[in-house]
Amino acid sequence: MFGNWRFQRLPSAHPGVAFAARAAAVIAALVFTGIILAIAGANPIELAAEVIDSSFGSSFGLEDLALLFIPLILTGLAVTVAQQIGTWNIGAEGQFYLGAFSATAVGLFVPGPPALILVLMFFAGIVGGMLWILIPTLARAYANVNELITTLLLNFVAALLVYYVSTGPWRDRVGLANSATPRLSAEVPEFWGIVHWGLPVAVLVVIATAAVFTFSRWGYEVRLSGSNPSAAKYAGIPVRRHLITVMLLSGGVAGLAGMLEIAGTVHRLQGGISNNFGYLGIMVAVLARGSSIGVIFSAALMAFILNSGIILQTQGLTTSAVLAMTGLILFLTAIGDELSHYRITREKT
Amino acid sequence: MDLLTGLLTTAFLAGGVLALAAIGEVLAERVGVVNLGVEGLMAMGAVTGIATVAATPVPIFGFLAALVVGAVFGAIFAFATVIVRANQVLCGLALTLMGAGLASTIGRNYSGMPARASFEGVSIPLLNQIPILGRALFSQNILVYLIYIILPIGLSYLMFYTRHGLNLRAVGENPAAADAAGIRVTLIRFTYVTAGAALAAGAGAYLTLAFVPSWSDGVVAGRGWIAVALVIFAGYRPVAAALSGLLFGLITALGFVGQARGWPVASAILSMLPYLGTMAFIIVPVLAWQRMRRVLAAPAALAVPYYRDMR
Repeated sequence: MFGNWRFQRLPSAHPGVAFAARAAAVIAALVFTGIILAIAGANPIELAAEVIDSSFGSSFGLEDLALLFIPLILTGLAVTVAQQIGTWNIGAEGQFYLGAFSATAVGLFVPGPPALILVLMFFAGIVGGMLWILIPTLARAYANVNELITTLLLNFVAALLVYYVSTGPWRDRVGLANSATPRLSAEVPEFWGIVHWGLPVAVLVVIATAAVFTFSRWGYEVRLSGSNPSAAKYAGIPVRRHLITVMLLSGGVAGLAGMLEIAGTVHRLQGGISNNFGYLGIMVAVLARGSSIGVIFSAALMAFILNSGIILQTQGLTTSAVLAMTGLILFLTAIGDELSHYRITREKT
Repeated sequence: MDLLTGLLTTAFLAGGVLALAAIGEVLAERVGVVNLGVEGLMAMGAVTGIATVAATPVPIFGFLAALVVGAVFGAIFAFATVIVRANQVLCGLALTLMGAGLASTIGRNYSGMPARASFEGVSIPLLNQIPILGRALFSQNILVYLIYIILPIGLSYLMFYTRHGLNLRAVGENPAAADAAGIRVTLIRFTYVTAGAALAAGAGAYLTLAFVPSWSDGVVAGRGWIAVALVIFAGYRPVAAALSGLLFGLITALGFVGQARGWPVASAILSMLPYLGTMAFIIVPVLAWQRMRRVLAAPAALAVPYYRDMR
């Protein structure tokens, strides 16, 4: 009776099944966290009600959510872009820092009208992110050094660099804040409460990227190079050149996230400004399953989870607990992804 | 104590963290599994060590408890990657996030407190009379001997001079052939991934019980990732892994000396040295010696899940 059930592994998972597996992973992780909270003596239902009320019950809640949404869209997109050619950019965190760092450098030291400075900061942020991924990119392209570890190591260097300048040479000597730079005068204008124009910019960047990867010849060549590098090479596609371009683009997008965070949300450079957005971006990209448009939805989900953590801080829950839960979601997603490759069939006797 | 002895003493002590974690990662990668969760495992080990010692002030209990916690998390990771055969990169990153998040949640109560008990130096008579090296190596705590002498030599012997070692390397190079020869691929992978994870957590406990010795949030500070990179640098060999850990201990020690002597470089800049050094050490050798690629190559089936029915 049991013997004629067969598990058959398919080369690729059905998109519907894969989506269901992701949803199941997220729900299972939330339920698990709820159980842990209940064991710790909290009332998970009450907490959930409070989270939903604080997030969606008022315009303020939605605005907070939107401010977390912006960087997550872009860091998630950065990781997704790198995935198109089969590379892992685990360094979005560091590129985010460098984007913020470069934008701050322009904001602090370049004189001029705010509108012009803002445009310069925009490009400085992108270039900062690109420069930060340059060495891992070249090492991968020319020496085949695994980009996963090199991009990640630079995160720590970037965090130290930003900590150093914001508590050292660039620190605010006038105000009371001793661990941040002075407030930058150039700001991304707001259009809805505290939400700035970075939001539509981020969404536009996603749509443009999706269009390029889906409809252009270049995008096709990149995706082909990602799924089968040797076939692409044989077909005459310049795989190495595409690899370099795509990884730099990925770094630039993460750098833009850092620039918008500085110019739109925080307005001064300080240690820890990245708020783990780079690492959460990996999560966003994995949940989006390689789809640029999907990044918008998974970034919204991650923004909600992150915001819940911040709301629950008053209840004794920390942001590190949110990080742990994110890890659990990622773990269950990886398992669900593999399981969704299987088809259960019953052999007729 | 003269400068050189002091430098070497610190190098052995500091490098132990990286050496132990790298040796653990060698075990996992030799059987064909990349464990990117080392950073999280170290954080869990670090907090387990400090919490155990806070309850019972015996450092070796803290270390053993960390090994157990590491083995439990390692078994969960091995279940996902070896039995379910889920993506190793994702599971590793997930383990890092979970471990780091859990550790700092648990560690809040111990933040900034020095360890209630820590490993003390044990001098070995005669050997500690050797000039320079003797004082530096043979008056350390017992874990240092375990990390630099017992484990690397023992594991090298196991890997390269026994039948079982040949089997475990075969599993990492060509699991299908190993399976055909009657080697139990899944069992070997599961065992060594779990053991490697236990050592990674042990490295965390070494950090909070022998090196720092205290817990603070973010105390692991990327050492797990450096350990993963060192495995590549060490060509997947236990003795080389221990030695490259020592090399990084030396870089850390130089940073300390710089701070102590008031070199005109900010401490944040000196703290970047280990990460930049790691970058250099995994990029430069590949560029400089093309022939080394073959000698120090990764196991052929690294990060490739094995499906028996899809040969």
